[in-house]
Amino acid sequence: MNHQITHDPAFSMLRVDLQPGETLVTEAGAMAAMSSHVELEAKLTIQPNPGMGATLGAFFAAVIRKYLGGESFFVSHYSTTTPGTVWVAPTVSGSIVHRRLEGGQIITLSAGAYVASAGNIECIVKYGGLRGILAKEGAFFLKVIGNGGDLWFNSFGGVDFIDVDGTYIVDNGHIVGWEGDLEFDIKSAGGGLMGLVASGEGLVCEFKGRGRVYIQSRNFGSMTGWLLPLMP
Amino acid sequence: MQCELLYQPVSTMARIRLDAGEQFLVEPGAMIGMSTNMDMKTGLAGNSQSTGILGKLASAAGRMLTGESFFQNTYMPQGGSGELLLAHTLPGDMVMMEVGDHGLKLQSTAFVASSTGVNIQAEFGGARSFFSGEGLFLISATAQRPGEQLLVGAFGGIQEVQCDGSMVIDTGHLVAWDANLTFNVKKAAGGWIASYLSGEGLVCQFNGQGRIWMQTRNPQAYGTLVGSMLPPRTN
Repeated sequence: MNHQITHDPAFSMLRVDLQPGETLVTEAGAMAAMSSHVELEAKLTIQPNPGMGATLGAFFAAVIRKYLGGESFFVSHYSTTTPGTVWVAPTVSGSIVHRRLEGGQIITLSAGAYVASAGNIECIVKYGGLRGILAKEGAFFLKVIGNGGDLWFNSFGGVDFIDVDGTYIVDNGHIVGWEGDLEFDIKSAGGGLMGLVASGEGLVCEFKGRGRVYIQSRNFGSMTGWLLPLMP
Repeated sequence: MQCELLYQPVSTMARIRLDAGEQFLVEPGAMIGMSTNMDMKTGLAGNSQSTGILGKLASAAGRMLTGESFFQNTYMPQGGSGELLLAHTLPGDMVMMEVGDHGLKLQSTAFVASSTGVNIQAEFGGARSFFSGEGLFLISATAQRPGEQLLVGAFGGIQEVQCDGSMVIDTGHLVAWDANLTFNVKKAAGGWIASYLSGEGLVCQFNGQGRIWMQTRNPQAYGTLVGSMLPPRTN
């Protein structure tokens, strides 16, 4: 499976060349174009052939995701009998990042960052609790586990990563995801009550441990918040 | 006419240099700067070959149906060469295309400007374009002679793909295509329910040999996402 990310960083698009027997999974509605012989199926799970229990679990996870996490209910599975191509474009302007996951590596993505995956990839919806709600990333996160698979995720704006060893603070609207041995807490950016209210930073996320945090250079909530008072 | 595209692909601007006697047709609102010797005439838009006021009116009304303006501006430098700066409304790329023998078809909001030898006409796309979500009308661009140019704008980057036999394009990502290609609207997946659930709904299937230009973002999907985070209109 060859892939190429073009038009980075403002309007990234993913091109995947599929061979017979390979399956590409994408978030619903993300297909921009495809060879006409490629077949598209809507499914509840990212796994190609889940058992009954997994399907039921996935159904409830999908319902939760749909109504609480801001992600679509279904995912699209693309497969082909002769080589073909699929072009995938996320909705918001920004980058796409590719990550190969081996040996049970885990990436946690904020709601809405998942674009596509292929190979042995499993996704679990994870309740982030109060932290998730306060972090403005939605109450749910997507935990992606890979045993030899590809994951593509997107950002609003450019994407960068920070290798954390110890602690690091990230503004809550700018988190795309993280991997490794990391935990996070919600806290005030500093400066007491005045800092919380007047600094414009509000609450921030403090990551602790060793790992990598992916951040985006723009914040979708801030942009729509800016548009709000301009509406007639 | 010389065209230079600047600030690609995010905030593309076209710098058009016109020699004495050359004219350029521009969509109203697309001009962002010009040399002071540039003369602008506003006229009814449409087929330059339509004769008589009724023909011109009908042609201009046709353009209105595509969501383009009823009027079109013609720029011509006086006493020597002149310069025009043009931009599209949405953030994204622009591309200058040669109209060629077969002509081009455009999704209705993609038109930015053209040389005066290009005939721009609204074309009824029938129910297939209605279902494809692009509105009922398309723009058809034809030219009598080679070398006629069309400036097209998009939301996001522009990707040219070669249709070799057949190809499926999501309707929200369609910008322009060679007019010798035929298209029909079909379900994205095998069944109606799967097509709906996949979030793709109906797509355009192109048949034949030719070029298709697509945009890497879907304006409708982007607008819907932003709109969902804004309060409803009160009036």
